[in-house]
Amino acid sequence: MRLSFTIGHGVPKFSLFLRPTLSRHLHRPIYSSSTLPSPTSQNPQTPLFLRPPTHRATFSDLRKWQNWAKTLALSVGSSFVDMDNGPDSTLLCRELKWLIEDVTEDGSISETLHNEEPERTVRLRVGLEELYKLWKQRIEERRPFQYIVGCEHWRDLILCVQEGVLIPRPETEKIVDLVGDLFSDNQGLREGLWADLGTGSGAIAIGIGMILRNSGRVIATDLSLLALEVATFNVQRYGLQVSAGRGKKRAVFLFSDVIQLRQGSWFEPLKDVEGKLAGIVSNPPYIPSDHISGLQAEVGRHEPRLALDGGVIGMNDLLHLCKGAASMLHSGGFFVFETNGEQQCKFLVEYMETEAGDNFYNVNIVPDFAGVPRFVTGFRK
Amino acid sequence: MGMRSHSWRNLLKRFQSVFPTNPNSKSYGNGSSIVFIIVPPPIAASSPSFLRSFSSTELQPQLSANIIRIMEQRLSAIEHRSASLQNLINQPEASPADYARANKELRKLRTSTDLISKLRAKQKEIDGLKLLMSESSEDNDMLSMATEELGQAIEEEKRLQNFLLKSLLPKDAADERDCILEVRAGTGGEEASLFAMDIFKMYEKYSQKKGWKFEVVDLTESDLKGYKEASAAISGADVYGKLKFESGIHRVQRVPVTEKSGRVHTSAVSVAILPQADEVDVQLRNEDLRIDTYRSGGSGGQHANTTNSAVRITHIPSGIAVAIQDERSQHMNKAKALKVLCAKLYEMERFRIQSSRSKLRSEQIGSGDRSERIRTYNFPQGRVTDHRVNITHHAVNDVMEGENLDVFIDALLLQQEMDALTSFSSSQQN
Repeated sequence: MRLSFTIGHGVPKFSLFLRPTLSRHLHRPIYSSSTLPSPTSQNPQTPLFLRPPTHRATFSDLRKWQNWAKTLALSVGSSFVDMDNGPDSTLLCRELKWLIEDVTEDGSISETLHNEEPERTVRLRVGLEELYKLWKQRIEERRPFQYIVGCEHWRDLILCVQEGVLIPRPETEKIVDLVGDLFSDNQGLREGLWADLGTGSGAIAIGIGMILRNSGRVIATDLSLLALEVATFNVQRYGLQVSAGRGKKRAVFLFSDVIQLRQGSWFEPLKDVEGKLAGIVSNPPYIPSDHISGLQAEVGRHEPRLALDGGVIGMNDLLHLCKGAASMLHSGGFFVFETNGEQQCKFLVEYMETEAGDNFYNVNIVPDFAGVPRFVTGFRK
Repeated sequence: MGMRSHSWRNLLKRFQSVFPTNPNSKSYGNGSSIVFIIVPPPIAASSPSFLRSFSSTELQPQLSANIIRIMEQRLSAIEHRSASLQNLINQPEASPADYARANKELRKLRTSTDLISKLRAKQKEIDGLKLLMSESSEDNDMLSMATEELGQAIEEEKRLQNFLLKSLLPKDAADERDCILEVRAGTGGEEASLFAMDIFKMYEKYSQKKGWKFEVVDLTESDLKGYKEASAAISGADVYGKLKFESGIHRVQRVPVTEKSGRVHTSAVSVAILPQADEVDVQLRNEDLRIDTYRSGGSGGQHANTTNSAVRITHIPSGIAVAIQDERSQHMNKAKALKVLCAKLYEMERFRIQSSRSKLRSEQIGSGDRSERIRTYNFPQGRVTDHRVNITHHAVNDVMEGENLDVFIDALLLQQEMDALTSFSSSQQN
């Protein structure tokens, strides 16, 4: 059901820039925020490290599995790198160590595994059979490591993720840094209302929410119900929301909620806060449609196209966001959007400075830590 | 215990060889009041002539008469100051500001004055017992009882004096800080890496025994699962103060597991202990930092899914670079790299200040000279020798298990105290 939301195909090229909103509406007629359907049965999967250690294995059997898994990882060599810039053996071996950390009751055991008494038993969070299956999926199917363990370490957070929800990228961590830097000398923005559009696992919203704590608030939106479920789980795990507002729209924040989750496409669920936002942050889909088939297997075969595909030149959603930002932000409000790189950044800066009217100032391109121009930031006049 | 007292004798010998009794020290006595003059010693041969012997049952050095007298002068000064402050407070005409200032200073002196009054009481008791003994020379029971009590009282007096002296000695402000431990395999190839791992784990076990927190910062493994490089952040009470003397070259002599002919190899690892510091301590500016990530080409972002979040931070002015890859998020790798970088910059700054302050200081132990060979672990003979204090401990396996490392650490701490005492007594010249 997730992939059926796929957007942006077959739309005539010229309409991409002129009418992003229209094309969005044509292809995403889904739900309005006030008619959120009753809770689905798609409860988020519990990541391995949070499961109870109810399984047992002897050290000798666990070691046997580890040796098998390592041999499998080593057999990969650099073949994935050559194929599609995938992981090499070294990285896979490190992932194997982390898998052992997550799956054993005492996470530090991966260090000493080879020294333990072979017949002693160790408590595991999944059965040994499952471990064989999981690692096979990792190597043979290229299933992302984060889906295998059900979580991604992002900033100082551990976020639950699963198929159907984009795995937050290290680059995106910087959005939280940018917002945090802003807070240090702008108390007004700190106390304001923020929006994370297309929140996925909730990463950016939670990152900002942890900084805001008792001052401002964040509304996190997503079109995908599953993503919202997962984001809710993560938001609650970090104590940023006491009760889930599932099933009906919650127009007001509960006293103790830092983050509120809303379902819908981009600005749709935010009509009630038009012109009131202190900040908009988003990591929208930005990969050009015809790049999707050539993506690294972990991404192309396993991650939700909904969160990746940005239309023919990858800018459907970015342009839609830029267009809406002027009416959503209050004066002095801040925006930061992640992009595919230099071309998209330059395009957006030009768009914001010319076509978006005289609405923004200090529009800038900010590179990620690898030096790729990655983010466009600016302020509402 | 036999081993230990043997070690202390070694330490003492070492001291006396390094610091021969200073012929320039003179004392003039005239019965009850003794004037003590220390003539400035030549810099290199500053003399701990106060050092007479070590008690075999305690780690405390017995203080010599002259150091006690120097201390007595300070104690009287403190008592005088305390009395005049007390006097001022009792004056009804004292202004509120004077009153507050006096009170504050009194509070600061309180620890010392409390100890001093305990010491005075003990000394009174000793005088009383001596008097009793002289009066009851006929009564054997009484005499033996008094002798025993006198022995105890004198021990107690010594304990108080040591305690007071310690509280008067200058302290390294960094002693209470947490530290970064860095172990690096040196000459000796794979065997050096294996020993680097052993040493790293030795400190891990030692930290556990001390109740400290030991967090691995980064590991670079060698082919045989040894460590080419390893670092950890250790936190707890007085971590840096205890471990600072571990910096230097640790040498190992043993038959490597890789050696088929059974020949003993010598290889070495270097250990560095850096006090932890934060961005404020080192006045770190964002614009001085360059942060790189190791992304393998490509567009990055949504295009790539990698679990590689390695980060390298370069401090541009000094050229120091720290790379961390072991954490599972880029943010955490960055935070760790920054922690290590701050420790390195702080250490650099300390070293700069220290070496500009005095030559003497840099000749003392713990000067941070990492090229100094400080210790040898000889497995065939089952011994560990610390070359600075010349102490040998005959249970290398215990040491590697984090046991008995205190034998060396305590001796080094004692030596540090001796160095401080040297400065303490020479400071009386001024």
